[in-house]
Amino acid sequence: MRISRAIAAPMVGIVTFLLAWEGLVRALDIRRFVLLAPSAILSELADDPGGYGSNTLVTARHMFIGLAIGLAISLVVGSAMAAWRFVEEAAQPILIAILVTPWVAYITSIVIWLNFGERPILFLVAFTSFPVLTFGVVGGMRSAEPAARELLASVDASKWEVLWRLRLPSALPSLFTTGRFSIGLALAAAYFAETKALDPKGLGVIGQRASLDQTSGAEVLWTTIFCTAALGITGLMVLTVAERTLLRWHSSQR
Amino acid sequence: MSTTAVTIELVSARVQITGVSKNFEAVAALAPTDLTIEPGEIVTLLGPSGCGKTTLLRLVAGLIEPTTGTVTIDDQAPSAARAAKRIGFVPQAPALLPWRTVRGNASLLLDLNRKKGHAVQSASVDELLDAVGLSGFADAHPHELSGGMQQRVGLVRAFVLDAPLLLMDEPFAALDEITRTEMRHLLTRLRAQREATILFVTHSLSEAAFLSDRVAVMSPRPGHINTLEPVGLERPRQPELEDTPEFFATTTRLRHALVTATDSA
Repeated sequence: MRISRAIAAPMVGIVTFLLAWEGLVRALDIRRFVLLAPSAILSELADDPGGYGSNTLVTARHMFIGLAIGLAISLVVGSAMAAWRFVEEAAQPILIAILVTPWVAYITSIVIWLNFGERPILFLVAFTSFPVLTFGVVGGMRSAEPAARELLASVDASKWEVLWRLRLPSALPSLFTTGRFSIGLALAAAYFAETKALDPKGLGVIGQRASLDQTSGAEVLWTTIFCTAALGITGLMVLTVAERTLLRWHSSQR
Repeated sequence: MSTTAVTIELVSARVQITGVSKNFEAVAALAPTDLTIEPGEIVTLLGPSGCGKTTLLRLVAGLIEPTTGTVTIDDQAPSAARAAKRIGFVPQAPALLPWRTVRGNASLLLDLNRKKGHAVQSASVDELLDAVGLSGFADAHPHELSGGMQQRVGLVRAFVLDAPLLLMDEPFAALDEITRTEMRHLLTRLRAQREATILFVTHSLSEAAFLSDRVAVMSPRPGHINTLEPVGLERPRQPELEDTPEFFATTTRLRHALVTATDSA
């Protein structure tokens, strides 16, 4: 019941949005590069479904692997920050600096350092998403009930047991919340890095090429934007379903 | 004879508190305190907020270190007793983990620090859940339970350890009066199976009278034990005891001791 609504409700929202978009473009006769109608995007997509599909999968892979690396880093860094105040205070300014420094500024340096291809893309995705995830881990782990911590201490539970049995499950709700932001960040980073890293495939690669083509680039550019958005929405939906399954015990899901 | 003595030693711990005090920063929370709890005895710490009763309990549990003095549990330091899983702790909030089922919560303390687990348990988790009337809720999650049911899980979680010492920090304070009364009767029934030593913190006169062998009446600024009141009521104690003149006389005596303690502060 809940899961079917989790899919149906966003669908209604998306269809309404697409219809409004189509109507706007037709009514105001907007130029193709500025905004392409969804109907034109869909017909471009229908012309080459395999090409767009495979490029979308490449970008999805970049996002997924980058996020997985970012998550792994955030769990290690976040656990350390939650366990020791000093580590938290020392790490905070660094995380914030990473978070606020625009990646546009340093992408060239990363590409020179890691060379063209997949590595700078994965690096940028992981690098931009882990600070937000880390804040989620720290906040969630700190929210573990003090009485439960004393209870675990009363049988001399090891630090590892406290982490695994109490702190990590306590961190899940806030990790899901920050996960939503991270998906957007990761996807933007993946698309952008693809335009610079000249990996042979990816939505960013063909989008970049199309943006230089004044005659027929609009269709391709807007179709990559469309595919990127669809990818992000799919990611969010997967996250929502996972959240509702894993957090059935949490008050936010009741 | 000698085998009986050994069994009792395993089942019930002796707690020795010698010159124990605690300061938090410059504030004296507990003045130097002496108290010996004999094996199998139930001692209640009774007093108003800020009298140091929870501090004393936490010192016995080794959750905080004393400023002066020593605590021993069967000649062990509290930290060693914790490591050997010889303390069953019942905190004030039930502190159930919301992602674990009732059965999972009841077995939490068994699951932790497994290398120190007991080879033989006198009762399984399911038997104890049955004993507290929760057998139908073993697979439920904590949010599906009432406050009283949650704290019953908290009792099972401590009892299933078969620890010789139970430390209870106002476990029924958040419950309504009727549930609270049921809970102390339930605690007495559970404990009849196994004579663990109990140190129980409360500010309820009826709880102190019904449960205890002795009541340590405490007063604040700084926290100290004002008087040690023996409770002469016979065991086993049944719920009907609370309707008798003897029980009324005991709670009255405790109230007077409490008023005296508070006035002297």
